[in-house]
Amino acid sequence: MNIHQSHAVKFIHPTEEAFARVLDFYGIEWQYEPRTFPLEWDEDGNVSEAFTPDFYLPSQDLFIELTTVRPQLVTHKNRKMQRMHELYPQINIKLFKRREMRDMMVKYGLYEEANNIRGSQAQVSGDTNNG
Amino acid sequence: MKVPNTYPCAIIIIRIYILFETMAVVTISRQIGSLGYEIGKLVAEQMKYRIVWRELINQAALQAGVPTVALAMIDELHLLGLAPSQQETQAYIEAVDHVILEFANQGNVVIVGRASQVVLAGQPNTIHVRIIAPEETRAQRLADVQHIPVQSALEQVKASDRYRMNYLRRFHHVDWDDPLLYDLVINTARLTTAAAAAWICELIPLNENQVIKQKKEGDPA
Repeated sequence: MNIHQSHAVKFIHPTEEAFARVLDFYGIEWQYEPRTFPLEWDEDGNVSEAFTPDFYLPSQDLFIELTTVRPQLVTHKNRKMQRMHELYPQINIKLFKRREMRDMMVKYGLYEEANNIRGSQAQVSGDTNNG
Repeated sequence: MKVPNTYPCAIIIIRIYILFETMAVVTISRQIGSLGYEIGKLVAEQMKYRIVWRELINQAALQAGVPTVALAMIDELHLLGLAPSQQETQAYIEAVDHVILEFANQGNVVIVGRASQVVLAGQPNTIHVRIIAPEETRAQRLADVQHIPVQSALEQVKASDRYRMNYLRRFHHVDWDDPLLYDLVINTARLTTAAAAAWICELIPLNENQVIKQKKEGDPA
C-alpha cells in the first residue's frame, strides 16, 4: 500500500497540501490521486470524461475531492459527483466545498491561501484538479 | 463406584467455559498527551493481547455505512469542519457499541477510547483504566513531539479534553472524569509508561483469578 507523507508529494494546489497535512497530523493514511474513474465514453468506447478524486483514505475506504470554486460555479463538479454515484454506487466519496476548505486553512494558520480562496482567482482556477 | 464417562467431558467443558469467560479485556480512557495509547500498546505487547484503537472507529463507520463520520470523529480539533447529520452520527454510535462488544467477546484485547469503559461497564474480567496527567505536562509533551509552541499545544489539549468530555456526555450521559467509571486511574506526570503498563499487567491475572474463584464458588458441582 502506497502511504504518503505530505512533504514527499508534489501537489497541484496548496489546499491539497494543507489537507494532506491535516491527515498527517491525525495519522490518517492517505493516497494522492490513486484512481481515475471513467464517467463518459464516446461512440468508439473511448473514455471521453473521467474523474480523479484528490485523495483516497484506505482505512476509511473513503475518496476525498476538494473544491475551491465559487458555489455558482460548482455545478459541473456536482454533476460529476452525481455521475460517480450513478456509475460507482459502492464508492464512498466526500466533496469538501469552498467554504469548508477556507475554514480549514484559517484554522491551520494558512491565511494567505485562505485569502486566495476568497479572491477571484478561485472562481476561475480554484478547482484542485482537472477531474 | 463406576464414574460415568461423561464426567471428565463435563469438567473439560466447564474449564473451557471458564477459560473463555476469563479472556481479559482492558479498556483505556486517556487524555491527549497522557501517554495512554503508549501504555495500552505496552500492555498489549506484554500480555500478547490485541490493541484496538483507530480500527474501532473505522470499522464502526464502515459497518454503519457512514465512512465520513470516521473522519469527523478522528478530527477532534475540528480542523476539517465536518458536521455529520444526527442520523449518521446515531448510526455510527450504535455501530461503535456493537464493534466494542464484538472485540470484547473475542477477549484478550486492549480497547482504547470510544467510551469502551461505559459500553463494557460491569462486564466480568474487564479492567477499566484511566490515564491522566496535568494539562501543562501534556502540553509540553505535545509541543516536543509536534515541534510547536507550548501555548499552541495547550490549546490542543483543551480542545481535545472538551471534545472527549462532550462525546461521553452527549452519547453516554456520563462524566468522563467520574472516577467511578474506572478500576484504576494512573497519573503519568511522574510515572514512566513502562511502570504504568507493568501495574496494569500485574492486575490482569489477579482479576482473572478472582473471576475463576467466584465462578467455582458459584458452581454447584
